[in-house]
Amino acid sequence: MLGIVVDLGYVAAQTANALFYSSILFLIASGLSLIFGIMRVLNLAHGAFYMVGAYVMYTVFTRLVSGAEVGVVAGILAAGLVLAAIGYLVEVGLLKWVYSKPEEVQLLLTFALILVFDDTVKIIWGTEYKALQSIPWGSFRVGEYLIPVYYIVTVAVAVVVAFGLWIMFTRTITGKKIRAAASYPDIAAALGVNTRILFSLTFALGAALAGISGAMAAPILTAYPGMGTEAIVLSFAIIVIGGMGSILGSFIGALIVGFSRTFMAIVYPVLEIALVYIVMALILIIKPTGLFGEREVERR
Amino acid sequence: MGVRISLRDVWVRIGPVEVLRGVSLDAGGENIVLVGRNGAGKTTTLRVMLGLLKPYRGSIVAESNGVKLDAGRIQPHVVARLGVGYVPQGRMIFPDLTALENLEVSYGSSLPGDVLEWLYSLIPDLKRFIDRKGRYLSGGEQQMLAVARALVKRPKLLILDEPLEGLAPRIVKTIVEVLKSIEEEGVSIFITESGSLARVRELVDIAYGIDRGEIVYKGPVEGIERDEKARARIWGF
Repeated sequence: MLGIVVDLGYVAAQTANALFYSSILFLIASGLSLIFGIMRVLNLAHGAFYMVGAYVMYTVFTRLVSGAEVGVVAGILAAGLVLAAIGYLVEVGLLKWVYSKPEEVQLLLTFALILVFDDTVKIIWGTEYKALQSIPWGSFRVGEYLIPVYYIVTVAVAVVVAFGLWIMFTRTITGKKIRAAASYPDIAAALGVNTRILFSLTFALGAALAGISGAMAAPILTAYPGMGTEAIVLSFAIIVIGGMGSILGSFIGALIVGFSRTFMAIVYPVLEIALVYIVMALILIIKPTGLFGEREVERR
Repeated sequence: MGVRISLRDVWVRIGPVEVLRGVSLDAGGENIVLVGRNGAGKTTTLRVMLGLLKPYRGSIVAESNGVKLDAGRIQPHVVARLGVGYVPQGRMIFPDLTALENLEVSYGSSLPGDVLEWLYSLIPDLKRFIDRKGRYLSGGEQQMLAVARALVKRPKLLILDEPLEGLAPRIVKTIVEVLKSIEEEGVSIFITESGSLARVRELVDIAYGIDRGEIVYKGPVEGIERDEKARARIWGF
């Protein structure tokens, strides 16, 4: 870097880019972390939920609503609702039957769901990339660079979601019941908590977060079959770095992954993808529960 | 009227092991101890009573004030809402929640002041650690909290799984005093014990003895030590 004049506009644009990318990653990873932290289910199909969210956005934006601003807001809400419903049906219809089975059964089931969702998406929307064409709210200029206002909106949504989740888990009785059931589901049930409903709600909420993430990603990253695969892999890295079940951990983990990928791509592209996994490996060695994961509780 | 839970000829298998082999018993109405060695089937019996475990044979009925649940409808949260409190073995305090939050989860909403005052009057020590997280409580504090957590909804039947195990004598005394005073308020207790009956004798009238999944004694507490056959199977002497 010696002798190079740092262009502030360029740094601002790349920072905005990294923040946008981190926000998308946080939204998807927080859902995955929630489901794993509370239900001990590793939902491989979480990336497929993200993908479906992107397609819901595409359809709402291009077919159902006119006006880019209204279209994006409607698309986000619709994706959240559709994925909450899909998540609920998957939990009640399929997952709840395999909780008592070995973990590989859960993995096989959720892996099968990826295939089902991928093919369903191809049948409904086809195999080509689906771009939204216009991005609402325009952009602003920093130096020579244009930064979409949409980036700022996405960051705001992620911050609001993070804050909302934090309030839910620390201030509401439902959140406290979910945290209790996460440690000892049987004991919570024997004390009068309907854990069946709590688990369905948790899964629906996690799926809705993936859907919202996909919907917010669609205007920038477009929708395409298989887009969930990259998202799920990075989400796993994030929750390993941040700590399973920790919302703050997902938030910090998403920032680490988002920034390291964005800036490595500029500084030293060879390590763009590797750096994330180097960080993950180091965390696993130094603090296996992740940055914000607390000591694992022995389950009965 | 109180809560009654009745098991009839209950059989439970865990893996290849028959853990319960035709257990019949009635909880509620009287103060009862279920005594047996580690592995005799005490905790499994309680888990069946609470709806946490389904027997492969036999019937279970829970009833309170004319509400009657049979095996098909017995689910843990429904049993709890009939008026059954539960103090699990090993205390099982939710580690990520504060003591107060542990109570709230059991109560089902934030705790009214008078309920908390009532608990403080029963267990004054609670006040000292009410805002501390479960994982930072000592064993004795956890046990006092586990009892408070089970009482917070004013159950009519309180089920306790070896609540005096591994506690300092002072804590044992506190908990026995609490149990005596709630008995005076009309709560029935059903308690398990793996060792001597000395510590629970003043709390209970009826004893069940269990050994290798079979009920080997049912009758007054005083009788159990005189029943040589039962004594041999329960304590080995």
